Parts: sequence; structure tokens; C-alpha cells
Amino acid sequence: MTSEELADAIIRAFVEGGEAFLEGTLAAALPAVWLLVLALHLARPYVLDTTRGLSLRLAADIWWILYLAIRDGLVALAFVMSFMYLFPDVLVAEALPIGGSLATAALFAVLLTKLVADADDDPRAFAIVSWLLGAGALLYVGPTLVGVQASALGLGDPWDRLAAALVTSTNPALAIALWWVSVAAISAMGVVAVWFNLRAPADLPHEVGS
Amino acid sequence: MTPEQIADAVALALARGGRLWLVSTIGALAPALWALTLLLHLARPYVLRTLGKLSLRFGADLWWLAYVIGRDAVLVLTLGVSVTFLMPDLVLKLDLPLTAPLATLFLFWALAARLRTRGGDGGRTHRLMTALLVFGATFYFVPQTFAVEASSLPALAGFAAFFDSARNPAWAGPILAASLVGFVVTAAWIFTGGLGASNRRARGGPPASGVSVVR
Repeated sequence: MTSEELADAIIRAFVEGGEAFLEGTLAAALPAVWLLVLALHLARPYVLDTTRGLSLRLAADIWWILYLAIRDGLVALAFVMSFMYLFPDVLVAEALPIGGSLATAALFAVLLTKLVADADDDPRAFAIVSWLLGAGALLYVGPTLVGVQASALGLGDPWDRLAAALVTSTNPALAIALWWVSVAAISAMGVVAVWFNLRAPADLPHEVGS
Repeated sequence: MTPEQIADAVALALARGGRLWLVSTIGALAPALWALTLLLHLARPYVLRTLGKLSLRFGADLWWLAYVIGRDAVLVLTLGVSVTFLMPDLVLKLDLPLTAPLATLFLFWALAARLRTRGGDGGRTHRLMTALLVFGATFYFVPQTFAVEASSLPALAGFAAFFDSARNPAWAGPILAASLVGFVVTAAWIFTGGLGASNRRARGGPPASGVSVVR
């Protein structure tokens, strides 16, 4: 082996290893992020009770703003972290939960619902968001536990076959089919979001920022 | 191999690999930043609706300020990262989206629209920026998703070969050149407009119509 070949091997290890490490870290962190998103969504009654208990309007506004910013910011963050599920090469190469791409579409649907409807005042919109978050968490955390994690244990059939079916790299046909569905759904929802933005009144109230 | 040769190989790998790692990290960050830019921009109606519910002006100002800082900071950061797609050596040698330089140009135009239009945060500017960002995102995400990151799909082989910059230098070169020219012209337009507004302010005159760069 020449020094040039050794250098090339080290470079490839750096780049490919770095990419796999980044994707693996994101996939490992996402179940926690999903559960946090769900917990913050379900914490709304508690936050409202606390808001009502505050005697100063300023404190109530700040408490509510903080809750909204963290809750909805985390949904946006989870969507951005899940973006790798929209890249077919990543799905085929890495051992990822099979429902990851659908869960990403569910996150985008949550963001769209919050954009076009008032999910804090409209009970129907709140219920839609709750169902979408519940389904998304199930689609992500379920295959992570039963598929990605269980496949590493070697439990024998039928568990191994079930685990292989729930991992993208061992079931690429289903992973790519779900990817097409997710990309089509996200594209359609993106068009709705843009259309809503172009039609919604976008001028700032005069008293703000003056 | 002698220890000397191993040391040479490691040094070479660190120098070349470090550069490649930096570029690939930026390449990996770009989709996330583009997505965040779009999300924050399109969230404006939701932010305005929440603003209307806050009972105090202090709370409303705080909420709006946090939104504007986050949204504009992410926009600038995405532009900074996307400048990578204007480097000829990288575009022609690495597997990057073919139309990524155009996406960078549209992002820059969106920033220019914010800087150079009267009432940089008004409804009309928002609609103009929405159109520019949607075009930019399409130029970035379509080749990134269906070409650069889809080389394993036989169904998309032809699309991937055309929209991968390293595999289609005949198109990548002219697209890059046109984007660079557009970028320089836009930068000059922003600079002269900003300079003109500053000079008018310094002389005490009124700002020119349609220009509100310096408040």
C-alpha cells in the first residue's frame, strides 16, 4: 500500500464515517424528540391552568409565549431533524425505522394544521394535531423499538423476520414505496402552505414594532 | 510502509480530508437550513394570529422580535452556507444539485427584497419573498432529493445523471456562471442602494422612493 492509497482510505473513512455517525445520532435522538413533542402538546391543560393562576398579565403572557415557542419550535426542529428520511439513498444504506418518512409527513401535517387553523382555540384542529402527533410517534418509535433495536438482539424467528420488515435497509422496497407517499404528501401540503401564505392577510398590526 | 510514509499519508489525509469533511458537513447542513428558512417564513400567518391574542404590547413585541430575529438569522445563515454552491471547483467536482447555484441566487434576491423594499416586513414584501423562496427551494430540493440522494433508485437514473452537477458539467458550468453574474449584480444593487440612502440621510434629505435600507 502506498502513502497515497492510505491517505485516500483515511479520507473515505472520515467522510463516510462522519456521515453515518451524523445520521445515526439524529435517528437515535429522534425518539426522545418525538416523545418530548407529544408531552409538550399534551401538557396544554396544565399550562393553561398555570396561566390562569398568575396574577400579573405580563407573567401570563411570557409564560404562554415561552410554552408556544418551545412546543411549536420543537415540532419544527423534529421536522428538520427528520429530513434525512426524505433521501432514498440514506433509507437504503442505513438501518432506520421504516415509518420514519411517514412520521416526517405527519410532522409537516401538524405544522400545516397549526398554520391554517387555530389549534389552540379550535377543538377540532387540536384533535387533528393530537391524532397526527400520536400516529407519527407510533410510526417512528414503534419500528425503532421492534425493528432497529430488536434486529440487533438476534431473538430468532419470527422476531427476526418482523424486525427485518420494520428496518429500511432490510426492507428497501417498502421503505421506497413509503418514501414516494411521504414526498408526494409533503409536496401537496407545501403547495397548500404557500397558497395560504399568499392569501392570508400578512400586514403587521400598527401597534407592534412601532 | 515506513513511519515517514505513514506520517505523510496521515498529514495528506488531514489536509484533504479536512477540507472535504468541511464541505460535506456544509452540504449536509444545507437541506436542514433551507427547510428551516421556509418553515419560519411560511409561519408568518400563525405568528401574526398568536400576536393578536397577546394581551400586552410588551408580550406582543417580545414574540414578534423573537420571530423576526430567528427568521432573518436563519435566512442569512442559509445564504452563508449556500455560497458554497457558487464555488466552481466544488460544483464541478462534487455531487451537488445542478440548480443549487440558482437556488442561492433566489435566496439572495429574497434577502435583497427584504433590504430594499419600503416597509421591509410588510405584506407585499412577504408575498414577493414567498415566491422567491419557493422558487429557490424548488431549485435546491428537487435535484437534491431526486438526483444527488437518489442514486440507488434505478427508476430515477436518468434524472439523477442530469441533475447531478459533477455528472453534467456541460449544464453545471453555464448555470454556475449565470448565477455568479446575477449574484454580483444583486450585491452591487444592494450596496449602491444602501450607500445612496446613507448619503441622503447624512445630507439630511428624504429617502428615495422605494428605498428604506437605513432606518
